[in-house]
Amino acid sequence: MNRLIPLLRREYWENKGAFRTTPMVIGGLYVIFLLMSIFTTARIDSELYTLREAVRMLSDQTPEFRNALIYQGMLGSSVFFTVVMGFVIFFYLLGSLYDDRKDRSILFWKSLPASDTLTLASKLLAAMVVIPTFFLLILVATHIIMAIIGALMILGVDGNPWTLMPSMLIPIKAWSMIAVSWYAQSIWALPMFGWLMLVSAFAPRLPLLFATLPPLVFAVLQTWIEFLRTFTLKSNIVGVIGDWIVNSPAILTAEVHHGSGEVALGFPQTEQFDHSVNLINIADRLLSIEMLGGLVLATVFLAAALWLRRRATES
Amino acid sequence: MNPIISARGLSKRFGRTLAVDHIDLNIPPGRIVGLIGPNGAGKTTAMKAILGLVTFDGELSVLGKNPAHERAALMEEVCFIADVAVLPRWIRVWQLIDLTEQIHPKFSRGKCLKYLAETKVTPQHKVKQLSKGMVAQLHLALVMAIDASLLVLDEPTLGLDIIYRKQFYTNLLNDYFDQERTILITTHQVEEIEHILTDLIFIQDGKIVLKASMDEVQQRYAELMVSKGQVEQARKLSPIYERELFGKHILLYDNADRAKLTELGEIHTPSIADLFVAKMKGSTREGISV
Repeated sequence: MNRLIPLLRREYWENKGAFRTTPMVIGGLYVIFLLMSIFTTARIDSELYTLREAVRMLSDQTPEFRNALIYQGMLGSSVFFTVVMGFVIFFYLLGSLYDDRKDRSILFWKSLPASDTLTLASKLLAAMVVIPTFFLLILVATHIIMAIIGALMILGVDGNPWTLMPSMLIPIKAWSMIAVSWYAQSIWALPMFGWLMLVSAFAPRLPLLFATLPPLVFAVLQTWIEFLRTFTLKSNIVGVIGDWIVNSPAILTAEVHHGSGEVALGFPQTEQFDHSVNLINIADRLLSIEMLGGLVLATVFLAAALWLRRRATES
Repeated sequence: MNPIISARGLSKRFGRTLAVDHIDLNIPPGRIVGLIGPNGAGKTTAMKAILGLVTFDGELSVLGKNPAHERAALMEEVCFIADVAVLPRWIRVWQLIDLTEQIHPKFSRGKCLKYLAETKVTPQHKVKQLSKGMVAQLHLALVMAIDASLLVLDEPTLGLDIIYRKQFYTNLLNDYFDQERTILITTHQVEEIEHILTDLIFIQDGKIVLKASMDEVQQRYAELMVSKGQVEQARKLSPIYERELFGKHILLYDNADRAKLTELGEIHTPSIADLFVAKMKGSTREGISV
């Protein structure tokens, strides 16, 4: 009997607000902002002049330009989803092995014939796969709704949306790229996920404090000792975490330069990795020596979390 | 017959204190065993060891399995209610039933719904909307719908009102218990389980101080009520405990000569509660309550 599926459903039921409602709210905000900007333009302009002008200018461009614009725009619009998803996963994992100890329902969960390993795996899988999948489906739905609104507007100013819209391959390519970058980010983030689950299994109370304070104290000590030894301020654990975020395989940068959009993996501030958005650069990160180190660390953290979970009853 | 639970030198240490101190235990199938002891005696720790919730020293086998290493497999055969109100508060009743059905191979949805139909609990309820008594009914319905060999109940009726408590044990006896099944119960409300137990275990400071079947208890222990004039004579028969009630002296004897006792006054079988107090306070007169 496959017990993983019911355990994943249980995670979904308990965290419906975080898994499903949160991305729906972001998608809703996107749609509302789009409608508001259309409404504002319509109020200021007579006869929707700006919109007509925009449609005319777009029609004058090459299809390649329009495709690139839409592709970059779609990738760029995922950044807000990615950042919020990061927070959702952070707090989900922080509570994953803590909440049921706190409200004593762990005694019920442990009365079911599901092993602690499987329980831990279900929570890790929820963070790595289930949450990104919910965010992805809702992002896709948001894009489709926005495209329909856009098409209606173009029709409203006597344009032809079919000639302006990119080929169907463009959105599919954009969604696939976002999906790959998110699932890659799940692997890239494993040491952080492992740490959060360990804290969640360990913290007697205030897991947020236990998750953030030790690295901070460690960083301060590191910097201080380094300063005493060499009278310089070099990189410490905060620097390592910073590099880890900067080099993330998720699209975290979306800027507009001189009218053209620019998206990048992580933040293009280091030379260590190529930050332009493509599959090779994502794979490059996953096959790096840094990733290997991260996986070793994640294994240690997760093994410790499992050890604690086996012995855990109510806290 | 193979014992359901068998322990040899079962111990559990928390820092310096030995919560469970080298317990030997054999519980055969088809018994209802009461594990009774004062607060902090090690009852809950012993139960947690049996359920694979804590590590332990010594030998312990439950249904032929080692609970410390095979909790998940063991839980297919063992059910437990560890205190009322441990069901997750956010969950809906139908979700709880779905989940248990999918995870537990021996769960019967039909039975569970049948038990729930006798209560006010509906599938759409969230656990946090239910009263404490209804949560206990729900948990019992879930547990009784599982075809398990061993049911462990740790203070299953704590904080419930008397109607729910009575109903809880009535349902348990009528609908669940049979010759194949074993039930292990701890509770402070001893008088409630007095009539359903087949076996009694008293535990104090992590050690077993009494282990007997209810028949043995009836044969071994006798309570004698005498008036002041005869109390000196009664004391000569070496009672293990004495108390005073409305000017009468009540003395408790272990394996005394019943013929001699009868000459002095009325004899009864002591209640578990009285026997418990006697055993816990020991044979010294210091324990006399007035």
